[in-house]
Amino acid sequence: MSTSRGALECRGVSVKYGSVQVLDRLDLTVDEGEIVAVLGPSGSGKTSLLAAIAGFVPLESGEIWINGALAGSVDSAQPPESRSVSMVFQNYALWPHLSALENVAYPLRRAGVEKADARREASRLLDRLSIGELAVRFPSELSGGQQQRVGLARALARAPSVYLFDEPTAHLDAVLRTLLQEELLDRTRESRAAALYASHDPDEALAVADRVALLRDGRIIQIGQPRQVYESPIDEWAARLTGEADLFAVEVASRDGADLTIRLGDVEMAVDGGGTPDARSVAAVVRPEWASLGGPLVGDVHRVRYLGARTLILLDTAYGRVWVAGANDQTPRVGDRVEWSLDRVWLIAR
Amino acid sequence: MIPKRSRWVLGGIVSAALVALVCVPLFELARGAVVDRTVDFGEIVGSGELTEPVRNTILSALAVTALATAIATAAALFIERGSLGLRSWLRAGVILPLLIPPFVSALSWASAYGPGGLLDDVVGVSVPGLFGPLGVVAVITVNVVPLAYLVVASAIATRGDIDLELAARVAGAKQVTVLRTVTLPAILPAVVGAAALTFVVAINAFGIPAVLGTPAGFPTVTTRIYQDLALSADSRAFARVLVLAVLLVLVTLVTVGATSRHTNDRRRPLHRVETPSALPRTAGRRQRVVAAAVAAYVVASSLLPLLALVLMALTRAVGLSPTPGNWTMANFSEAFAAGSWRSLGNSVLLAAEAATIVLLLAAALIVVASRRATSQLGTLVTLTFAVPGSALAVAVFLAYGSWLRGSLTLILVAYLAKFWALGHRPLAGAVTAIPPDLVRAARVSGAPPVTVIRTVLAPMLKPALLAGWLLVFLFGLHELTMSILLYGPRSSTLAVVALNLQQLGDPTVTAALAVALTLLVLFAAAPLALVWRSWNKMGTR
Repeated sequence: MSTSRGALECRGVSVKYGSVQVLDRLDLTVDEGEIVAVLGPSGSGKTSLLAAIAGFVPLESGEIWINGALAGSVDSAQPPESRSVSMVFQNYALWPHLSALENVAYPLRRAGVEKADARREASRLLDRLSIGELAVRFPSELSGGQQQRVGLARALARAPSVYLFDEPTAHLDAVLRTLLQEELLDRTRESRAAALYASHDPDEALAVADRVALLRDGRIIQIGQPRQVYESPIDEWAARLTGEADLFAVEVASRDGADLTIRLGDVEMAVDGGGTPDARSVAAVVRPEWASLGGPLVGDVHRVRYLGARTLILLDTAYGRVWVAGANDQTPRVGDRVEWSLDRVWLIAR
Repeated sequence: MIPKRSRWVLGGIVSAALVALVCVPLFELARGAVVDRTVDFGEIVGSGELTEPVRNTILSALAVTALATAIATAAALFIERGSLGLRSWLRAGVILPLLIPPFVSALSWASAYGPGGLLDDVVGVSVPGLFGPLGVVAVITVNVVPLAYLVVASAIATRGDIDLELAARVAGAKQVTVLRTVTLPAILPAVVGAAALTFVVAINAFGIPAVLGTPAGFPTVTTRIYQDLALSADSRAFARVLVLAVLLVLVTLVTVGATSRHTNDRRRPLHRVETPSALPRTAGRRQRVVAAAVAAYVVASSLLPLLALVLMALTRAVGLSPTPGNWTMANFSEAFAAGSWRSLGNSVLLAAEAATIVLLLAAALIVVASRRATSQLGTLVTLTFAVPGSALAVAVFLAYGSWLRGSLTLILVAYLAKFWALGHRPLAGAVTAIPPDLVRAARVSGAPPVTVIRTVLAPMLKPALLAGWLLVFLFGLHELTMSILLYGPRSSTLAVVALNLQQLGDPTVTAALAVALTLLVLFAAAPLALVWRSWNKMGTR
């Protein structure tokens, strides 16, 4: 048995609920100070992965190492309270009979800190999250965003080696979500601990993480830096999970390093990009910003989506529908026939 | 999450208790009735001497079921959907009879509406047929409406999402149509459950038919069991008791079994309604009419009879008008002259012991068993609650009578078997209502299992523990059906003494004792009201 690398390491972790395989020989390493997002649709095993790491569910196979020590295996499992982990829950999970301050002081008390000291430290944490004035309130008297700040403060109070975030912003509105994400990232980075952030929202996962792991049916099918998983998805499922993506069946006309010429229908064009397959007949993944107006192809405007920073235009084309990035100042109208082109593609097997 | 060894120990205790309190008595009852054929049962059943009590019981229980379910459902729909200001008062009024021992209700009705009662005295009218089937049905109905009301009201709270009704309105349904197509179907399982509960409790009723039925020659199964067991020593009478007890158990189990399918259905709401409704409700004219009707019902069914009972207790002799000039405290001193203090002590002691042990057993069961096992064992425990007190007392007597006869312990065993469900339900409900994440959050915060129980579960369950304890305590205080079958010279309870006094025909002293018992119950119930209020608050925050 070799020693573990990183603050958190999952080796071949499998978990079964009855006859349902929720985690399937999953490998994952998270370094100290690193934030890894686990992105997957509901039912993909995100929460189960966090539960396995925290020690809430027994392993069917594999090992979990936290901070260089074996925390859980098939034969021996440290109970959750002995693992150096903190968890922030989707539903906040604040104890309703304790005030905000007492909720935050709880992990400190369990760690043997004197009551007065624990309260002082809890109060300091609440201050740092700018909710010091809510200390005496009970969870039922706090809004969702405030509750989750208390939940974050409670997680910080434990000062663990690994933070587990289980869709912590799922029940918050867009503005609060961004604010809380920022807070959470800043505090996690300060602590130099490892963090695992479960989410089903690609924008959130790509924004918060150093690396993103795509989870499907209890297995990580791709892991990499946000830019990697966004620009180089390994298959159609991964492409669609990580953001807006359209796929075209194309022929590779020629390929010389990064110089790529593809044929879409009977139009041949040079594009940027790359992709794994060596075959001639492949699928091209197209992100909205990889296509633009003007060029050799034609399409009819089906919908125009103004998004502030940019405008997306959905075109009906001979090859299927495609989202194209448009300039904000010269937006076509629905029904217009426009010209467009592919600037860049990512090729995957068809 | 509990260390394995203590788990085994607790599990052993819980299983032993279940076997001793439920399985052994019911087995002994079945054996006594079916296997030990000292008397020819077929002959007893065929002789027709049981036909009258059985018919009376079934018919009156059916009448009570129809009346009480209708009253409770209508009241719940109006009150729970009514204006917020009046709601808690109306609710309290409808639920009030739950706190009054049933035979005290019967006594109070007799003193209010019977011949020579308050109404007779003041306006010269007494209700004909109060002694007899009509009175029995009316008073049992008043007594079971609170239970049915609670069942339906909680269904309205969890299933009667007001948005569903608004959705029906904007889909083009009239208010009456909404009631028929949305509201009633949503709460139908609860209404069926309430009807089953009502039926079972009505069959169970003993105090009311003993006071209002027996004098009029209207025997029921329970009063016949009492007469055969307590007042007669021949073996044929005992055989009749066994037949009736088995019959009661069978009817109850069939009723519960037949309706449980309707009460556990798949068409449950998609989410628990947490906020009652964001829409303001106004106290309109219709609301005032309904409130007045409910108030009139409460006055006529509970308050006026209780007032009459208190006046009767204060009056020097029957037949005198209850004016201050005729008032005296002599009835109370007489009531407590002959050993009643000891009976009072017995009542309080039994109720407190039963409450404490039941809560310990319930807690142990929940800690030991998995969620699924808890609900299955919970069903068993609930079934025992449904087993009629008369039958259960006979069963306990058969099982343990030979060595515990006449002792408080024998009564305690019956109380434990009967009231386990009362302690189990609130506790199990409260435990299921705690999201598992709260426990997980404590574990990842560094709390080992025992600390989780101490710092998270116990504080959160405190209201449920207190409520369960008080509920058992209250039912223990006003229990009569089983106590009167099991008591001995030194183990009579206050309720038993009161009923015996009533049978001896001393109405004013009986009234005094009944008032004392009711005051005791109300006094004990006061904390329950506080718990309930804090619960309501928790729900709204």
